[in-house]
Amino acid sequence: MRDKTHMEQVERWALYVKSHPDWKKKHTRFIDSLYEKAGSFIHALAKQKNGKDKIIKLYGIKNVKGYKKLLG
Amino acid sequence: MVFKDFAFKIGYCFYGIVIGKFYKQLHPDQFGMKRAIADRSILDKFCTDFCSVVDRHAKYIIVSGFLAIASGRTRGTEDIDIIVEKLNKQKFIGMHNDLVKRGFICMQSDNPEEIYDNYLSQKASVRYTYKNEPIPEMELKLAKDELDLYQIKTRVKIPLTGLEVWFSSINMNVAFKEEYLKSDKDMEDARHLRIVYAEQISEDKIKSIKQMIKKLRL
Repeated sequence: MRDKTHMEQVERWALYVKSHPDWKKKHTRFIDSLYEKAGSFIHALAKQKNGKDKIIKLYGIKNVKGYKKLLG
Repeated sequence: MVFKDFAFKIGYCFYGIVIGKFYKQLHPDQFGMKRAIADRSILDKFCTDFCSVVDRHAKYIIVSGFLAIASGRTRGTEDIDIIVEKLNKQKFIGMHNDLVKRGFICMQSDNPEEIYDNYLSQKASVRYTYKNEPIPEMELKLAKDELDLYQIKTRVKIPLTGLEVWFSSINMNVAFKEEYLKSDKDMEDARHLRIVYAEQISEDKIKSIKQMIKKLRL
């Protein structure tokens, strides 16, 4: 169980979203940065020894040919 | 001479239109477009692209974590959950082929019959991504019981998200997270939704949905 300060932060941010119409700009930057980071890591991992196998295992990819550019 | 002048003016107007179009593309902020583009995250675009294809074939709802994220929750996720109304195999094949045509790929198989027989008809979910990109994923399952059908029947669009996709209702999501899913992450999502959508929260509705969950899922 996370401590109560975690839920307090959730509440603080929810109130911010409710009262600031520009919340989506900040939020979009946050979400995009997660995907950009993960995406560049996956591409770096694919270049490592056994990296492609690790990606297949990580994401449970069965249809490998659908990811030919990354895993081929 | 008059004709030459006229032709020159027409040509000049045409040139102006072309230059204007280029300028508009390079400076979208001056034409009220910047907000719409800049405000759509990678996850928003993926969800909207996917749902616009599914929408042509069946009724669907986006449920759980992505509703919280689209409503401002600052947390990551690898997948978006979508429940699609029950489809027969033929209809599913049509939808799958349309998804493939639009650049999506199913992680489990390229063969729609196999996807339907080995996964969806067994009440298991399958995952779609953009071709060659393992994230983000859309976790797709077919409606399996009365509760799923009820969620589809009471689906809503939620303007605050800025997305033209169908979600299961706020009360439904809060009830599922508090009564069925219950992890720290889910309880935080529910708290976030309760604050952001305080005006739409109905304790009576949440209570009756929780009773349905107890009866059908627990």
